[in-house]
Amino acid sequence: MVDKSILLDNKKFTVGIFDDSDKLLHAVNTLKEKGVKIFDCYTPFPVHHLDHALGYHRTNLTIGAFLCGLLGCLSGFTLAYYMNVVDWPMIIGGKPQDISVFTSFIPVMFELTILFTAFGMVIMFFARTRMIHGIKEDLLSRRQTDDHMVLAIDNDQDQSLSNKDILELLKKEGAIEVNDSKEAFNTSLTSEEELTKILKINKTSTKKTKKK
Amino acid sequence: MYTADIRQPLVTGGKTYSDVTKDVCRPIENKPTPSWWLGFSIAVVLLLVLAGTLAWTVWEGIGTWNVNKSVMWGWDITNFVFWVGIGHAGTLISAILLLFRQKWRMAINRSAEAMTIFAVFCAAIFPLFHMGRVWLGYWPLPLPNAFGSLWVNFNSPLLWDVFAISTYLSVSLVFWYLGLIPDIATVRDRATTKARKFWYGFFAMGWNGSAKSWGRYEVVALILAGISTPLVLSVHTIVSMDFATSVIPGWHTTIFPPYFVAGAIFSGFGMVLTLLLIARHVMNYQDYITTEHLEAMTKVILLTGSIVGLAYITEFVIAAYSGYEYEQYAFANRMFGPYAWAYWTMMFCNLVAPQVFWSKWARTTPWFIFIISIIVNIGMWFERFVIIVTSLHRDFLPSSWVMYHATWVEVGIFLGTFGLFFTCFFMFAKFLPVINMAEVKTIIKDKE
Repeated sequence: MVDKSILLDNKKFTVGIFDDSDKLLHAVNTLKEKGVKIFDCYTPFPVHHLDHALGYHRTNLTIGAFLCGLLGCLSGFTLAYYMNVVDWPMIIGGKPQDISVFTSFIPVMFELTILFTAFGMVIMFFARTRMIHGIKEDLLSRRQTDDHMVLAIDNDQDQSLSNKDILELLKKEGAIEVNDSKEAFNTSLTSEEELTKILKINKTSTKKTKKK
Repeated sequence: MYTADIRQPLVTGGKTYSDVTKDVCRPIENKPTPSWWLGFSIAVVLLLVLAGTLAWTVWEGIGTWNVNKSVMWGWDITNFVFWVGIGHAGTLISAILLLFRQKWRMAINRSAEAMTIFAVFCAAIFPLFHMGRVWLGYWPLPLPNAFGSLWVNFNSPLLWDVFAISTYLSVSLVFWYLGLIPDIATVRDRATTKARKFWYGFFAMGWNGSAKSWGRYEVVALILAGISTPLVLSVHTIVSMDFATSVIPGWHTTIFPPYFVAGAIFSGFGMVLTLLLIARHVMNYQDYITTEHLEAMTKVILLTGSIVGLAYITEFVIAAYSGYEYEQYAFANRMFGPYAWAYWTMMFCNLVAPQVFWSKWARTTPWFIFIISIIVNIGMWFERFVIIVTSLHRDFLPSSWVMYHATWVEVGIFLGTFGLFFTCFFMFAKFLPVINMAEVKTIIKDKE
């Protein structure tokens, strides 16, 4: 639930920005070993093993998905059984219209299982991740959805290392940029001039990586 | 994980993460190119044809089509099955290939899913307007009503189809949108105009790429893939049951469900190839959609084309073996009757033509693949035409035998759906990232 509270709290963060997922992962592991509490990481793509390294547990959304599916299946059966058996049986050619036609309810039960699972799970995902249309994003780097990976440490939390040591460590781990009091912002706050500057940086940094 | 040296990289051209972003965002952030305008204009003209012919159908009545009491399903249902089939490759690429951990899917899944959604839109038009009174199109829904509480009939495969197609469309939309969110956020964070900032910000739903969100996101994507896989199989199975549960010789076959699913994948991959070969060329995505991708897709075409071919032959053998006169006649009539030209076109396009993909040259030459992909599309349209029309036009009673030819209205509606399809696709290519940036960035260093 932490994801969307950064902006509201006006918190300050110590951040290290990486341009390589392996370096980020290594930095997370090193910091964890030294007992530093990491707030979260922000990456443009899913970095494998990062959630493990940060000590996150696998989400329980799957259980919710199963329950939604079960509900869908039962709804499908109830719908078909009530309409075609209880309320108004359509007797065609003298054939029975009772539970023995159960097999022809299966397609509808199946489709509703899928429908309920998909929608239920996605809605739960949005709720759990605090995502809704129109919400303001909280970014620590303008390029965290492009090519930068941000490692964020909450300044309000007590750490086993001093702030200076953490910054040193982040640099040693290969952070291309460190900052000890970064506030979250959202894109609508960035002026156009600033943006062109960022996009220019973007171009030069690409050239650098190509040279490597 | 071990990867053999002969494996080719999935993304060529030594792209960096920001190169991926820039390449994929280029069409969104710049004015459309002349080729985009040209394609879009043609598509819109065809869309107007669709609007015109549909309006005429509604105004004048279903008599503007040549369907009659013998051939009650003609071009309309042929086109319906054709478009639904095309839609299936999108789900196959993103769901089944995700479950099989085929990383090459990542560059093409976005456009394939978009294709699915647009194809299902096109498909839905046909049964809806075939009802004749389109304003009563809500009747197949299980709604309480004033007709003596007469409910829909759950024993009917046509009703199963209503549930299957609408579930398929909505689940595909959700799956597609979920995949788009991180990429929409990328566009939002690069946005330079107010409108773009607002709209992409609105649809990105505050996505910031935190590790926690990604963890959940990946689980949700996996489960959605897991349920989409049986879904896609069920949808075309149910479509095939529209035919297979009847007692019409030529339709009344247990082989239909697997045969239709294979055919759907086959035609879908044909259409994916047609679209991607154009997109790759026009948008300069050769580094993302490499010849390796094309080769992998042509292999799927070869496999499914052969399955479909096997099904044609099996059907014929079983009919001959059945000792059932009407079934035997239906198949003899297909091969040598008045619609034999359609049957042999189908056989050539679906069984013979894809066999060229045994050759490595054929699998890696884009212009050649493009030609074959068009042939596959034509062949799969004819397959549905053959199944529907040849089975109906000569039934048990020779006095009801007729020949069926489409009217200009039916042809216009079919061409018009291409207009709808391509209008949607051009809009998609302009306003949304055609390649899944977030996923491609994870495989930038990987091999096939």
